[in-house]
Amino acid sequence: MVDFLSAYSIQNWLESCPQGYLMNTNYGHGADETEPAFLLENEVLRADAIRSTVQLVVGERCALAASSGLIGAAPDEGSKRFLATQTLDEARHVEIFTHRLYDLGVPKEALEETIRQHANPNLVRFAEILLEKIDRKDFVAGVVGQNIVLEGMAFTVFEMMHALNEPMNPKFAHTLRGTIADERRHVGFGENRIGSLIKEHPEKKAEVERLQRDLSYFMLATFADAFRDTTALDELNRLGQGRLSTAYQGRDLGTMDTHEMESLLGATVLREFETRLGRIGIEYQSPARP
Amino acid sequence: MNDPGADIHALEHHEFLERVHSFEFWFQAVEGYLAGTTYGHRPETAESPMSEAERDRLVGVLCTYCVGETAALEGASGLIPIAPDRLAKIFLATQVADEGRHLEVLQHRMRRLGVTDVDGEVTRRASRSLVAFRVRLQGLVEARDWEAALLAQNVILESLEFAVFHHHAQRADAVTAEILGGIIKDERRHMGFGENVLGRRLVDAPHTRRRLQPIKRELDHLMLDTIEHTAGAIGVPLADRARLGRAYLESAARLGFLG
Repeated sequence: MVDFLSAYSIQNWLESCPQGYLMNTNYGHGADETEPAFLLENEVLRADAIRSTVQLVVGERCALAASSGLIGAAPDEGSKRFLATQTLDEARHVEIFTHRLYDLGVPKEALEETIRQHANPNLVRFAEILLEKIDRKDFVAGVVGQNIVLEGMAFTVFEMMHALNEPMNPKFAHTLRGTIADERRHVGFGENRIGSLIKEHPEKKAEVERLQRDLSYFMLATFADAFRDTTALDELNRLGQGRLSTAYQGRDLGTMDTHEMESLLGATVLREFETRLGRIGIEYQSPARP
Repeated sequence: MNDPGADIHALEHHEFLERVHSFEFWFQAVEGYLAGTTYGHRPETAESPMSEAERDRLVGVLCTYCVGETAALEGASGLIPIAPDRLAKIFLATQVADEGRHLEVLQHRMRRLGVTDVDGEVTRRASRSLVAFRVRLQGLVEARDWEAALLAQNVILESLEFAVFHHHAQRADAVTAEILGGIIKDERRHMGFGENVLGRRLVDAPHTRRRLQPIKRELDHLMLDTIEHTAGAIGVPLADRARLGRAYLESAARLGFLG
């Protein structure tokens, strides 16, 4: 375990993250990059971007509370130190997505009200279930919920958002690239650390499997709401902005409708869960379909 | 990009906090003194010659420092969920990474000095009073007492570390001195946060000082005992030990806590 944790040291983190892919960024993107004019000048697109960015802030606030809460529950100092870097990563994500809300025109004094207004109730419930486990200092369930389920979901969502934004919003795509690199590290730690803990605590398996199933349900419900509520694709088509061909999971997002995108995203996340959970000896549980 | 030359103290209070309690500010600050270092010191810094007795004394002191940094790591992370606003949470997240780094560089230093079982060494040799402080701090965090936990963590513990590390860095071997120098720069930022946030709270709610006073007195005993435990090992002459204790007490005194 010591050898695996040395790969997750703060020294490595300093060299790869702040001194690596975050160099010369400002709130996660290049100082000269801005939100595109067609987005800022169109009320439908701007409102849609605010609504989707609020979900990112809600998810990252949950991740910040969860990773910081796990430090006190971690059974070894190596895990505490890795979680210290993850805590700072999550805080950075909260900060950069909050700043995106400001960039989209949300006044600072209206931030909390905007978040309250748009936060998806299913995502809020997801956060409550996860944080209950962490409040009880349940490290195994907490790491599975945080580093496998939440981070795995974030990783896949960010990848899809990155693919969608890369052709038309380089600034936001840049922001997402940095967060994807962070999430990859967090998921890697979760898989490596939990594998050995599950072997030590086989009695936790059933509870962890139930947690995965419950969290997956609220995740799928969040996706369903998000794709049902979005009006961005229709508005882009109306404007003749033209969605550009962009590849994701071997499919072209530029030709898909929202229902197809939701199905693809949900299937991709669940398939990833199944693979990752299988690697750590946990049996994937299919969630109910919202 | 934030203009590093701009006077941040000229900003409105909220704008000041937006700037100072941010990842970006932290990043720019630590880049200045951590760039080019490995485990807290420049790779080219040579080890000073050290007798076996000196090496053993240093290891003993580092054991106590590790307990302090573990307490700080657990304390700062535990404060995040109870922090009253987003900016305080983000600042504390930067502090969590700092404390994790301190623990890592101190443990790495112990290994470089030949310690193979760092955890066992720390358990055997660290100051009992600081171990007791760690338990007390965790209790305040778990009780979700924001003001008392912040006082214990960012004023009392950080002030102790600042005072002791400052003295030690002046007398330490070159590698240890560089490591402590980086830590001190972080501690200054943490103390500033504690004093700023708690200071404002005390102005708004003066009765809070009365509530916190007995907690502070209780913790002072543990801190002064820790100083006594550590001072001899870091070469502070007997005559100067009272000065070290006073240096620790001065931070709390700035907030109006006397004795």
